[in-house]
Amino acid sequence: MTKSLSAICRAFACSVALLSVASISCAAEADLKPGDTIGPQNWQRAQGMVGENFLNRIKQGHSIQIKAPKIYRPLKEYLEATEKYSGKVALGPNGELLNYVAGQPFPKMDLNDPQIGQKLAWNFFWRWLGYDYKTGGAVKGGKIIRSVIEKDGSERRADLVSYFLFPRTRYTSNPKPAIPGYEHIDYMQLRVDSYPRDAAGTTTLEIRYDDPKKSDDLYIYIPSIRRIRRATTTQRCQTLAPSEFNLDDINSFNGKITDFNYKFLGEKKVLANLSQEKLPFDRKQGDYLPLNEKWEVVDTYVLEITPKDPNYCYPRKLLHLNKMSFDTHWTLIWDKKGDYWKEQFGNFTPVKLQDGREVWSVGDVTIVNVQNGRSTIVTSTRSYNQGYPASMFSLATLETVMRGGSIE
Amino acid sequence: MAKGRLNLFWLMACLALVFTSTTPLSAASLFGDDWETFFKDKVSFHGFAENVTGLSVSHGDRHFNTSNRLDMQRFTIQPEINVDATSWAKFFISWRFVKEIRYSSEAKSRERSVSYFPPAPVKPLPNSYYDEYRPKPWEAVLDLLPTDTLKVRVGRQFISWGETDGIRLLDLINPQDLTFSPPVAPNLFSLDETRIPSVGLRTLYTIRPVSNTILEFFALPGFFDEAKQRVDEIVGSNDTNDRQVRYGRWSAHPETRLVLAGRNAFGNMYANPLNPGGCVGLGCLVIPSTGRELPDAGDSWKIGARITNNLGKLNFGLGYIWGFNPQSTDMVFKVKGVRCSAGSTFPCAVLGVAPSVVDLRLVNDRTNIFAGHFNYPVGDILDIPVNTTVRGELAYLPDKPYNIAKFPGAFGLRATLDPRHPSGVVEKNTLRYALGFDRTTLIPFLHPDDPWRAFSLSFQIFQSIIFDHEDGIHPFSTAEKIQRVSTTLTFRIGTGYFGDTILPDVFVAYDPEGYWAANPAISYVPPGNEKLKFSLVGAFYGGRNKFKSFGFFDEKDSVFLKMRYQF
Repeated sequence: MTKSLSAICRAFACSVALLSVASISCAAEADLKPGDTIGPQNWQRAQGMVGENFLNRIKQGHSIQIKAPKIYRPLKEYLEATEKYSGKVALGPNGELLNYVAGQPFPKMDLNDPQIGQKLAWNFFWRWLGYDYKTGGAVKGGKIIRSVIEKDGSERRADLVSYFLFPRTRYTSNPKPAIPGYEHIDYMQLRVDSYPRDAAGTTTLEIRYDDPKKSDDLYIYIPSIRRIRRATTTQRCQTLAPSEFNLDDINSFNGKITDFNYKFLGEKKVLANLSQEKLPFDRKQGDYLPLNEKWEVVDTYVLEITPKDPNYCYPRKLLHLNKMSFDTHWTLIWDKKGDYWKEQFGNFTPVKLQDGREVWSVGDVTIVNVQNGRSTIVTSTRSYNQGYPASMFSLATLETVMRGGSIE
Repeated sequence: MAKGRLNLFWLMACLALVFTSTTPLSAASLFGDDWETFFKDKVSFHGFAENVTGLSVSHGDRHFNTSNRLDMQRFTIQPEINVDATSWAKFFISWRFVKEIRYSSEAKSRERSVSYFPPAPVKPLPNSYYDEYRPKPWEAVLDLLPTDTLKVRVGRQFISWGETDGIRLLDLINPQDLTFSPPVAPNLFSLDETRIPSVGLRTLYTIRPVSNTILEFFALPGFFDEAKQRVDEIVGSNDTNDRQVRYGRWSAHPETRLVLAGRNAFGNMYANPLNPGGCVGLGCLVIPSTGRELPDAGDSWKIGARITNNLGKLNFGLGYIWGFNPQSTDMVFKVKGVRCSAGSTFPCAVLGVAPSVVDLRLVNDRTNIFAGHFNYPVGDILDIPVNTTVRGELAYLPDKPYNIAKFPGAFGLRATLDPRHPSGVVEKNTLRYALGFDRTTLIPFLHPDDPWRAFSLSFQIFQSIIFDHEDGIHPFSTAEKIQRVSTTLTFRIGTGYFGDTILPDVFVAYDPEGYWAANPAISYVPPGNEKLKFSLVGAFYGGRNKFKSFGFFDEKDSVFLKMRYQF
């Protein structure tokens, strides 16, 4: 029984691998138009444009509708910074980024460039994300809502918030382009749990350094002992239980860029949702499938990520990067046996900056572990450019976290 | 009456803080939309209700004479309110209400079954001793952020220094209530549940955020804190209004252990040569008349300062604490004098007999504590993936008080007063340190459903070194000697199964002198309800004698069912 399951799994994984890589110019994808409905009767039309597990759900009865694409424009200042600084940016011998200041590192993409994979990875890492943001800030209630769904459909909820600061790539807010003293830090993140009560106040401070040889710093404030603990960075790979995410799954891929190898697999059209109707999306209790949401055809780059460390948890991960924003729509993950393991899709939604301009933000992100049947949904819409001081991302903040988890 | 006024003051003060630190008050908006919006957006209400039922494994043992096997029935409800008033002010308040139903029965049973000697001053706790139902807030803090780099916290609060888990070393700022919780059992009641908050001020000034250079100062006046809260687990103390010595549930019950000629003999600690005149049997006993001496209001201050900093990967802190050390095990009995017998008003010389009563006062002396702590993540060593966080802390106490006595006495009597130290107390240079090693480890075959769900492992070594050690130093509660170097080792392992619905965790402690404690726990979080948690917890102890280390508690083995609902 186990063997046959394993064989099915492997066959399933192979088909996903083939589909995700080889179906770059699938005939079906070009036919999709706004108003089309895809369901069990014509699931082939979505083949290769969604994760295989999602496709199976369509085969089993789930229907999706196609809508017109939502067009976002890159921010003027990001384009200006790209134009101003990208000319000098280069890759170092170990794939590190040299002479980078701000904006998109590699705006001119030559798809035949042997280093295109590495360049795509850096474009993804330094995509526009404002100079700071609060994940959950644009969700009603101001918090990320995380729902963990078991195989039997039972659910548990948790609330948290996450604050990001990019201290050395500032082109719109003083001091420019870096906060003095922080020139060596790519980003700092504070993540604070606020529900349920026993987890409330658990706070992590994560610091990513620009030095490729310097590992991240990770501190955790634990309310049950009211102390700060230092975590080893090997924890990046471990399941953030009870969810199906790990630290490197945050924002689809949160690993240190120089710790991985990258391969550009081609361009591809996928189904995505860039204007989520409702936050969180409607769904049936105990199921992760979005209801009453429409999908659109989006052009992406397919980027394969393999770790330099052979012991890393994900031997292979595929990102489908939006050609304009470099955000990811579909993330597909395989395990060490080569079996298909996890499938992640992110919806996006428009949000306003304080000056009224419209930008995009991730909305609901869903990760499904196809091997154990568990899934996790996070409603995590961001509010950008909140003006968080760098001093907020220090251990003093962790020392004074209140029981309810408020730190702002 | 005075207490009632104090409670009313606390209630009014908290309400005033909520109202004054929030939006401007106007008659039109008092209960209108503005306030509704404010309460909806800025105020959150949480807390928990919990029931803990304890079952004594050693029921029937004369050293743990519970009325029946149920030795704990503790119901707690703790409402908590957060107010994110403004960008520069936040407020948190909580209350803790506790009712222990079973203890009254246990107390009565002990009163009936234990023959106390001396009979008068040593009595079981009042039936309501563990109850908490006052309007005084458990925790009430106002956080002010005058600038981005200055944080000020005022109110009844917790301040925790150090890095250790399960056992406290530098975590000496708040007292710990060890009366209701079994000792060395962090899986049953966490440090957060057993610490007692203190009223005071704490400031954190971030000198350089990027290196986490933070200057901290705190001041806790102490006189706001109630004496009842200063209780201990090893022998009884009299922190109640009548100042009579009483024993907590987990106290070692020495009155039932030091038995001589069929009677308990707490006085074994102080015998000949106080009464050297050819005594025989019980006549050799010197009866201790014990009481608790609390610091005067003005003497209760506790003040401390610390600076923390990052140096590369090293995070460290250096600090100093001045004040009363609230650790119960650091208390000493001070000899106030000797008398002929309890109740006698005549001097011994007038009666022509040797003294037979020693008056003792249980005190926490004021202490200087020089503190240090660090943590450092270690990746690979010689290409071996160590992946461990090393953490350490040390406390240097240049004038740490100890009880000292002469050993041995006659008739099996363990110790007696040392003429070189008439107060029975001596101060010694003491260094305490702890080294901890934390790492997470994958054991895939133990996690078939999620090979990347890690086990958290933690190993700690604690040592106490008395530099100018002197023979005869002993804990206040027993006549067992303290060696120059004392060591305790701890190990903890925990993980989660089935999407973290099943959470096993084991904490064990070992004293190389031959003592151990084990605190295994397994919790169940229903997959469909994140608010509920059920835990089965054990607290087991053993050792080569009953008067030292974890051996104190070796008849206290118990198992507990803890049910918690979070709201």
